[in-house]
Amino acid sequence: MQGLDLDYMLGLVPVLLSYIPLTLGMATASMVLALILGSLLAVERVVRVPVLDLFVMLYISFFRGTPLLVQLFLFYYGLPQVLAFLTQINGVTAAIMGLTLHFSAYMAESIRAAIVGVDRSQWEAAQSIGMTQAQMMRRIVLPQAARVAAPTLVNYFIDIIKSTSLAFTLGVTEMMGATQKEAAGSFLYFEAFLVVAILYWIIVEVLSQLQKILENRLNKAFAR
Amino acid sequence: MLKLIALVAALSAALPATVFAQDAGQLRVGMSGGYFPFTFVRQDKLQGFEVDVMNAVGEQAGLDISFETMSFSGLIGALESDRIDTIANQITITPEREVKFAFTQPYVYDGAQVVVKAGEEDKIKGPEDLKGKTVAVNLGSNFEELLNDLPYAEQINVKTYESNIALDTSLGRVDAFVMDRVSSVQLIAKSPLPLALAGKPFDEIHNALPFRNDDEGRAMRDKVDTALSTLRENGTLAEISAKWFGSDITVAE
Repeated sequence: MQGLDLDYMLGLVPVLLSYIPLTLGMATASMVLALILGSLLAVERVVRVPVLDLFVMLYISFFRGTPLLVQLFLFYYGLPQVLAFLTQINGVTAAIMGLTLHFSAYMAESIRAAIVGVDRSQWEAAQSIGMTQAQMMRRIVLPQAARVAAPTLVNYFIDIIKSTSLAFTLGVTEMMGATQKEAAGSFLYFEAFLVVAILYWIIVEVLSQLQKILENRLNKAFAR
Repeated sequence: MLKLIALVAALSAALPATVFAQDAGQLRVGMSGGYFPFTFVRQDKLQGFEVDVMNAVGEQAGLDISFETMSFSGLIGALESDRIDTIANQITITPEREVKFAFTQPYVYDGAQVVVKAGEEDKIKGPEDLKGKTVAVNLGSNFEELLNDLPYAEQINVKTYESNIALDTSLGRVDAFVMDRVSSVQLIAKSPLPLALAGKPFDEIHNALPFRNDDEGRAMRDKVDTALSTLRENGTLAEISAKWFGSDITVAE
């Protein structure tokens, strides 16, 4: 094996950087949607609505129990054969939906644990001043649960960013897909995949630093 | 919140435009973007013989050409489901395909070629030496059919790939791959991969542009076919071929 073609690697960086908005855009959209869905699922798991609870349990179990790649394929290649209208969904949308469903199941469990972790005395205090259950959740319990869940949720965001690389299997040219094409055009596979690996690594490192800052802030707010 | 909205907006801008019914002045061309030197990507620029030919066709026929890249095996499905209007990816005319699609005249005359890792070419000299060997082909390509149609097909272990057949052959993961002669020659000349031609081409193939076999598709086919005839007569096809291959692959030998 000859040495690395550094010129080629440096030339590839700006090309792949132009795909970061798509990668982060897909990840952010999935994160926001999964957070909303996951919170709803978590609250349901705490409150336990009869019958609905069974479906939520089934949902969480399925999306945690099957690989993300299988879910994406089921969704993008499988379901449209049964439900014709799904053929209208393009790869990006399908990837966002798949990531949302998958990660909302995980987030639901983390958020549920955080809610349950809020001290009983807080619930009782809220009840004693006459708050309704909805008020209690919104004003007392969820803000405290958010602090506990925040670091874990950032971890999920990091996971989502890395998982967007699977979208290339749905024909989406995102950062990984673009790398594949560049490698096939130049035949410098090692260089191309090395560059993309380093780029993902840098993105995740930046997020990890933000995560530390966020944790410190949250803890300061609650310092006694 | 504003940031979020901006992100969602940026994301929607990145979404490929939704495909509506075909407009008569528009030609959506599908290709894999991973078949050197016919269609490939360097520095985010889609280029190759096919790109040049289609742009020339667009200019000649007054059509607005747009390129859609997707995996090779997905191209036929995309053509059938009206996501694209034709495929510029060295589609070989076969009897089965002629039933389904309306083809233009051939614009590339080529042959099927066995390619091996450099140094193996004395052991494998053609398709008959592939007995007991593992051979890579692109999924959904006519070379897969060609191998399966050989009288000793059951003795060949055919492995289908979405891409990177040349890489896996050069790494010794498979014994050979089968592709068209023209791009094999270019691949060996222009890529750093240690590969060699194994014997002579073993089958003649004619490649053309397929269209949907309905009134609209056939009308578009006729337009493009007329443009191809003109480009052949005025030397444009030969010129594009010389640029990419150093020879004229657009005429029958």
